[in-house]
Amino acid sequence: MSEVNQAGSADAPTTGDGAEVSGEASQQQPQQQSSDKWLVALKDPTPGLNTLSQCMVLTDVTGDGENRLVVADLGDTRTNMRLRVYKGTALAMENTIIDLPVGVAAFYLDTNTPRSPAVAVASGPSVFIYKNMRPYFRFTLPPLDLHPLEEEIWAAAREGRASAVQVRGIIEDLRNQGASITGRSQRLLALHPDQLQEFVEAYKTAPLRRLSVVTALDTLKKSHSEEDAISCLVMGTEACQVQVLDPQAFTVLAKMQLPSPPVFLCSSGLFDVDYRIVAACRDGVIYQLRRGAKEATQGIRLRASAVGMIRVDKHIVVATMDRQLSGYSTKGKELWRAALPAGVTALAPLSLPSKGFNAALVAMDNNTVCVYKDKLEVDRLVTEDVVTGIRFGRYGREEATLVTVGRSGGLAIYILKRSAKFVDGAGGVGGPPAKQFSRLPLPKKTRLFVDQTLRERDCAVSMHRQFLHDLYRLRLMTAENYVQALETKATPISASKEDPVKLACTVQGVGPVFRLTVGLQNASLTTAIAGLGISFAYDGLLYRLEKVYIPVPYLVPGLTYNFSTIVECLTDKGIADAIKVYILKRDNDSPLVTGVVNMPVSESFVV
Amino acid sequence: MSDKGKSSSGRGGIVNSDDQNGGVVGSKAPPPPQPQQAEPGPPPTKDPNGGGSGGGGGSGGGGAPKPAAPQGRKPPELPQVERSNWLIHMHYVRGEFDACMRLIKEQLVDSGNLCEYALYVQGLILRQRGRIQESMDAFQQCALLNPSSVNNLKQVARSLFLLGRHRAAAGVFQDAAKQAPDDWEIAHNLGVCCMHMRDFAQAKDHLRRAAGLRPHESTLVQLGKIHIIENDLQHALEVFRRAVELAPENPDLLSTLGLLYMQCNQYQKAFEHLGNALTYDPEHTKAILAAGSIMQAHGDYDVALTKYRVAAGNAPESAAVWNNVGMAFFGKRKFVAAITCLKRAAYLSPFEWKVQYNLGLVHLYTEQYASAFHFLTAAIQLRPKMPALYMLLGVALSNLDDAENCRLAYDEALKVEKETGSRSLDPLVALNYAVYLYNSGDASASGRMLGEFERRLQERHGNAAAAAAEAPDAVETGKRLAALLNVGESLLWRTEAPAAAAAAAAAGPADSAAPAVHRAPAGRDQPKRFAGAGGADELRDIQRAPLPPTEPPSHPKPDPTRRPINPQPDF
Repeated sequence: MSEVNQAGSADAPTTGDGAEVSGEASQQQPQQQSSDKWLVALKDPTPGLNTLSQCMVLTDVTGDGENRLVVADLGDTRTNMRLRVYKGTALAMENTIIDLPVGVAAFYLDTNTPRSPAVAVASGPSVFIYKNMRPYFRFTLPPLDLHPLEEEIWAAAREGRASAVQVRGIIEDLRNQGASITGRSQRLLALHPDQLQEFVEAYKTAPLRRLSVVTALDTLKKSHSEEDAISCLVMGTEACQVQVLDPQAFTVLAKMQLPSPPVFLCSSGLFDVDYRIVAACRDGVIYQLRRGAKEATQGIRLRASAVGMIRVDKHIVVATMDRQLSGYSTKGKELWRAALPAGVTALAPLSLPSKGFNAALVAMDNNTVCVYKDKLEVDRLVTEDVVTGIRFGRYGREEATLVTVGRSGGLAIYILKRSAKFVDGAGGVGGPPAKQFSRLPLPKKTRLFVDQTLRERDCAVSMHRQFLHDLYRLRLMTAENYVQALETKATPISASKEDPVKLACTVQGVGPVFRLTVGLQNASLTTAIAGLGISFAYDGLLYRLEKVYIPVPYLVPGLTYNFSTIVECLTDKGIADAIKVYILKRDNDSPLVTGVVNMPVSESFVV
Repeated sequence: MSDKGKSSSGRGGIVNSDDQNGGVVGSKAPPPPQPQQAEPGPPPTKDPNGGGSGGGGGSGGGGAPKPAAPQGRKPPELPQVERSNWLIHMHYVRGEFDACMRLIKEQLVDSGNLCEYALYVQGLILRQRGRIQESMDAFQQCALLNPSSVNNLKQVARSLFLLGRHRAAAGVFQDAAKQAPDDWEIAHNLGVCCMHMRDFAQAKDHLRRAAGLRPHESTLVQLGKIHIIENDLQHALEVFRRAVELAPENPDLLSTLGLLYMQCNQYQKAFEHLGNALTYDPEHTKAILAAGSIMQAHGDYDVALTKYRVAAGNAPESAAVWNNVGMAFFGKRKFVAAITCLKRAAYLSPFEWKVQYNLGLVHLYTEQYASAFHFLTAAIQLRPKMPALYMLLGVALSNLDDAENCRLAYDEALKVEKETGSRSLDPLVALNYAVYLYNSGDASASGRMLGEFERRLQERHGNAAAAAAEAPDAVETGKRLAALLNVGESLLWRTEAPAAAAAAAAAGPADSAAPAVHRAPAGRDQPKRFAGAGGADELRDIQRAPLPPTEPPSHPKPDPTRRPINPQPDF
């Protein structure tokens, strides 16, 4: 423990001062600044821990009065899974775990002195129990009932009465009926037909068992409520059960059924007297199980899935995916709800028995850890990384210590200053929003605006008349041009019903040689057009065209046909002219469509 | 149970031996220490499978099992298919979708795409990422794996719904409803699907059933929406009242209820609810706009502007906010600021006729008749059937000396009134027409029109006192015109002495014509929030609170707590 204290005191002056300065500023901007109530005892970015709050526990594993941090590291979820014990700032011990750890719990399983708690690590279908950090016992969940048909077909396979294909057929039927089947049968279904025989051969002799997986772990005092009284283990399983395990005989004392697999468990009371187990399940409902209950059906339906559930005082505090923190009474009534500024990553209780203060620690993905006393935020700690695992409690000999594990695997330990007081409403709620006192962004009145206004006041009538005059002229010009366009067939689509041709011209090149491309499309839906030709009208002094007339083949509806010709500019005066493109139809004296191509100035002459 | 007890006890011995072998065979297992081989403390009384999957655990870390175990040896125990379901769930709820997808991929490879929960969460994540089609494929696979699960069906249906295939979605929901008839979520979603298919009767049935099964505010919101679409405001009010009872702290619901009360002309209640909404969320733009418009209607422009500052900060690109801010400045007679704000609103929403209308109105006030003409024409283009617009156009044209078009505009106003069949005709149309006719020298027509004004005024306000209280400027103008025309006998103000001297009044009507058309268009942004708001409502809103121009214009109530908003002087 001495290391922690030293580290803490070494860091204390600098961080303390820095935080105090920022604390002043936080009067105005409570959103940005970190709290000054915490001393940084350790910031180690290197351990590479991958863990969750439920896989961390602060406990005195050796019974020498110094609490250690026990962390189950999920590794990369397949390998490298370890149980680590930190003492002070250093790693004290490490054990390999063979399956994915689900949760860690410390509990007393005997009355021997010196009192030292055992550590339970739930992993896969088993719970491993360590005493004095040495492996002590392994409990595996009792296997679940088998479907009789499944049992029978595997027995038949064992005795050679059924082929692999038959086994598979029966199992597939079973699954399609919605029956629960063993992991072995599930794998069989996933196999390629070639591998069936081999698989059945390999496994048919092994006993068939349907195992579940532990999904949540908690403890429940057995018959006494003292701090170091014997506790039972409470396990939630993938098979939607909650089981209570006797700590001495390792038998299942109670088994209760839920509608969905539990994610978080909160137990209270004494097993032998009366108890309640609150389970947040994957279906987004919180169920309550009491002593003697066999199953739970009715529960609190949350608005979104729970990200964490803890007990604070007598209430259940739940953080949900939709950035809400809610408090529920034991009867299931929502007492309060607070909107959180970011998504929650971890939730843990904060308890200061000496001050009688209980609150919730909420880690969020905006790199903060906030303390919520009911719906009020009373403290905010800014961290360097998103915190994914968080625990508050006694560490070493320090009563109020906060241990966090970041997303990138860093470990940080904070010590709460003894002078720290959590004041309600320090989060700065209430009052009108700050924006109410900011000015509306309006531009200044300009001289031009005033002049124009004055002018309009003076001569509104003449302005209006002029406007109407110009409007009529514009309309007249538009009409004239429209008529002209119709007369010269200068519209891009021919107006004639029989030959709806669409024309589009492009000019490529910088000069003096250009390529003029004429795109023709038959806009009719059904009928093809034949007998067209393209002709050009241009100033012979300015341009020379490679082809003066292009015969057009049969036009199929819908397709675009491109015809191109080389245009050579003959002048070096830097002037350009328009070339007219006529689409002609045989035996017709006026063109179907006329396009006017404004040729660009030949650049080689300009330069 | 008995069967299970027998089988497990019968197997106990085998399992233990299996365990020992498993430890050797599981070559991929990480090396010892293996905790389960520690000496058991107290002998387990009932734990036949104590070391049950020791070998299983060993291969648990090793990935997909190879059935090709050495001949004659026990094969490695298979890791559980669902071994990391809980971790997938944890990653999902914490929003760590990348890590979650990685884990799901591993588990799916392990289980040959047969892990239902992994597929399910994959579907959820894909949906959150907007890949609806892929997400639906995942849910369909889930439904194939476990056809009895209602949840899978619900998710498939929801995906269909999100893809806009409402009919298909409703079909799947109906299938799901067969399996779980009492699920409020299914009933709710069916209702929403029917709503999108415009089958409102069915939608209401489903939603009411959902609300009966489990009252939830989202169900009531959907039900209320249908009532609003059907223009059934009374039922909508009732539904939203129930929703507010369920979620008394939801500012969205409170402000919607407030707006509904506004539409029903219950401004006191509306203001109450809007105030509540602002208590829970002081930055709720919708509630600010609605509450501000009520304040504007009461002439409380400074408070309204203070509130609008918050809204303008939160939604600087909302044309409605700038429109209302502009009209608040207009109410304070700060015309330059009003024009600035309204022009910003017009820039943000160029096809909103209300903004153009207000711009036209403000320009009439600043005597910029040519500009007013443009804005009013634009408004008429956007909304052709509004008598008030033609009337304002008439006022603008009469000031532009365009007698012919002016008369046409007024005639059009009267014609449109007839066509739309408004229940309550606007007296101001008649009054302004009468003023124009008088100014153009057609005294007899003017007298007739004044009679029409009289009739309409009576129809709307009932008696002379009420009319004088609610529209004093219009009545005043009417009186002066009547005096000039000498047609006082049959009129409302017959008993009063013609106070206005002829000399003063000669120019009077022309001047007062513009003020007579003035009303506060504040709050006219509310009706458009409701799809069902008809033309009549908008009409009502415009005419709701005629602002007396006789009110001392530039003396807003002194309010020591507020800083001056707009330092720009009136011009």
